[in-house]
Amino acid sequence: MNDIYKPPLWPMLLIGVVSLIWVLPLIGIIMTSIRPEGETLKGWWNIEEFTLTLEAWREVWVNYPLWDALWNSIKIAGLSSLGSILLAPMGAYAFAFLNFPGKKVTFLLLVNAFVIPNQILIIPLFTLWRNVGLIDNIFSVIIPFVALSMAWAVFLVRNYLVDFPRSLIDAAHIDGCGHVRTFWSVVLPNALTPMAAVGILQFMWTWNSLMLPMLFLRENIPLPVLLTKIKGTYEPNWDQVAVATIITSVIPLLIFLYFQKYFAAGASNQSGQKG
Amino acid sequence: MTALDRPSVGKSVVAYVASWFKPAGGQRQDWVAYVLLAPVLLLFALGVLYPLFETVRVSFLDWTGLGRPKPAGIENYTKLISDPNFLNALKVTLTWTVATTFFSVLFGWTIALVSGLDAKRTLVFRVAIFAAYGVSEVASGVIWLGIVQPDFGLINSVLRAIGLDQWAYPWLGDANTAMVVLVAAYVWTQTGLPLLTCYAAIVAIPRSQIEAAYVDGASHMQVLRHILIPYSLPGLKVAIFLVLLNSLKAFDLIHAMTEGGPVRGTETVGYFMFKEAVVYFKQGYGAASTVVLLLAVIVVSIPLIRERSSDT
Repeated sequence: MNDIYKPPLWPMLLIGVVSLIWVLPLIGIIMTSIRPEGETLKGWWNIEEFTLTLEAWREVWVNYPLWDALWNSIKIAGLSSLGSILLAPMGAYAFAFLNFPGKKVTFLLLVNAFVIPNQILIIPLFTLWRNVGLIDNIFSVIIPFVALSMAWAVFLVRNYLVDFPRSLIDAAHIDGCGHVRTFWSVVLPNALTPMAAVGILQFMWTWNSLMLPMLFLRENIPLPVLLTKIKGTYEPNWDQVAVATIITSVIPLLIFLYFQKYFAAGASNQSGQKG
Repeated sequence: MTALDRPSVGKSVVAYVASWFKPAGGQRQDWVAYVLLAPVLLLFALGVLYPLFETVRVSFLDWTGLGRPKPAGIENYTKLISDPNFLNALKVTLTWTVATTFFSVLFGWTIALVSGLDAKRTLVFRVAIFAAYGVSEVASGVIWLGIVQPDFGLINSVLRAIGLDQWAYPWLGDANTAMVVLVAAYVWTQTGLPLLTCYAAIVAIPRSQIEAAYVDGASHMQVLRHILIPYSLPGLKVAIFLVLLNSLKAFDLIHAMTEGGPVRGTETVGYFMFKEAVVYFKQGYGAASTVVLLLAVIVVSIPLIRERSSDT
C-alpha cells in the first residue's frame, strides 16, 4: 500500500517511544550483569563511570548450581515437548477422520480442559507423587505438563488435519493401508508444521513455568525455581541475579522471536478459530 | 462481538449439552480410534481428570498436615465466606484481573492499530514490545524487583536524580503500591498477546480495500476508524479472553515478586489456595478455595467454550 500513499511519521515515532519504554527493563538487566555491583548501586543508567566486567558471568556458575538447573530445564522442556509432539497427532487423527461412539463428548472434554488452572493439580498430584515416590523425579512435572498440553495440542493438530485432502487418505485405504498405517505413512509426514508448532509452544511454556516444578521437585530443579531461590537469599548479589535472569530467559526468548508465527497460530487456535 | 454477550440460558443450554452425547454421524465405526486415543486419554485422566475430581473431593474434607482426613461437609466453604483473608483475596483478584486485562489489552490493541498505519517502519519496535511476552513470569518478576528496589532501583534513583527525593518510596512495602507494581509487571509481559492477535487480524485485511479508501481520499484517521478498528475486533475479543484467563490463574509472577504480601495484601485466589494448602498444610480448605477459582474460570470461559465446541 506504500505505492499509493506515504504513511505519516507519527505512528512510527509513537510506537518507537513505547517500544523504548518496553525494552528499558531488559537493557537494565543487561547493564546490571556487566558492571561491578558497586556501580549499579548508583543506578544502572548512570554511566559517568563505567567499568565493563564479566566477573558476575563467571562467578554465578560457581556460586549457584546453574549448570544443573540449565540441564534440568533442557530435560524437562525437551521431554515434555517430545511427549506432546508424539501424542497430539494420534488423538488429532482419531478426532479428524474416525467415527466412534463417544467421539464428541471426549473431544469437548479434552479441548475445553485448556481453561483448567494449574492450581487444581497441586494438592492431588503432590499426594499421589509422594505415595508412589515420584517427588523430585522430573517425570512428576513432565506427566502433568504433557497431560495439560493435550487440551490445546490435539485441537491445534486436528484443525490442521481436517483441511488435509481426503482423497489421499482414501487412496491409502484403497491401496490396503489400515488406519494405523495411513496415520503413520501418509498423515504424519504431512503434519510436520502443526507438530513443530506444538513442540515450540510446549517448550516455551514448560521452560518458563514455576509452580509445578517448585512443588514437586527438591534437588532436580529447573532454572525458574533456582532463580526464585537466588533472588530470595539474604542480600542477593544483584549482578549475579541479573546473569541468572538472562540465562533463564535467553533460550525461550530466542525461540520465541524466531518462531513468532507459531504463536499467532497458537493464540488464534486457543480461541476456537482456525489459525 | 456476539460471543461476548451473555450466553443464553435455559432450554437451549440443555439441548446444546445433549447434542454433545449424540453420535457423531456417519454409519461406520472405527474401533481403531480407541487404540490411537488410549495414550492421550490415559495421560489426560491421570494428569487432569483425576486431580480435578480429587480436588473437589478433598474440598469436602477436614484435612490438615499429615493427619487423617475427616469428612467435613460444606464446612470448608462456609469458613471461606467468613474468612477475611479469603474475602480480601476475592477483592484483590477482581482488581488484579480487571486492571491487568484492561491495560494490557488497551495497550496491545492501540499499538496494533497504530502500527497498522505503517507496518514497515514499525516492525522492529513491534518485535521489541512483543519480546517481553517471551520472558517468563519469574524472570519478569526479578527484573521488576530491580526496577522498584528502594535504594538503587530505576524508579527511586531517577526520582532522586531529578530532585524529587521525597517521592522515593519502598514500593513493595505497601499493599496498594505493591499491587500497582505487580499489575505493571504483568501488563509488561502480557501486552504482547493482544498485540499479536489484533495485529494478526489487521494484516489479514485485503490491501485493495485500504488502497481504495485512500484513493477515495480517506484520511489516516478515517482508515483507522472505519477499516482497521472493525477488522481488529475478532483479535480483540480473543485477546480479552486469553489475558483474562491468564490473569485469573496467575501465580508465578506473584510468587516471584511479593509472595502475596505485604501481609497478604496482594494475594489473589490463585495464590490464596497455595498459601493455605501448601504453606499452612490445610489441604481441605485450600482445595475449597481452588474449587471457587475453577468456578470463576469456567464462568469467564463459557463464551469461549461455546465457540470452541460449535466448531465440531
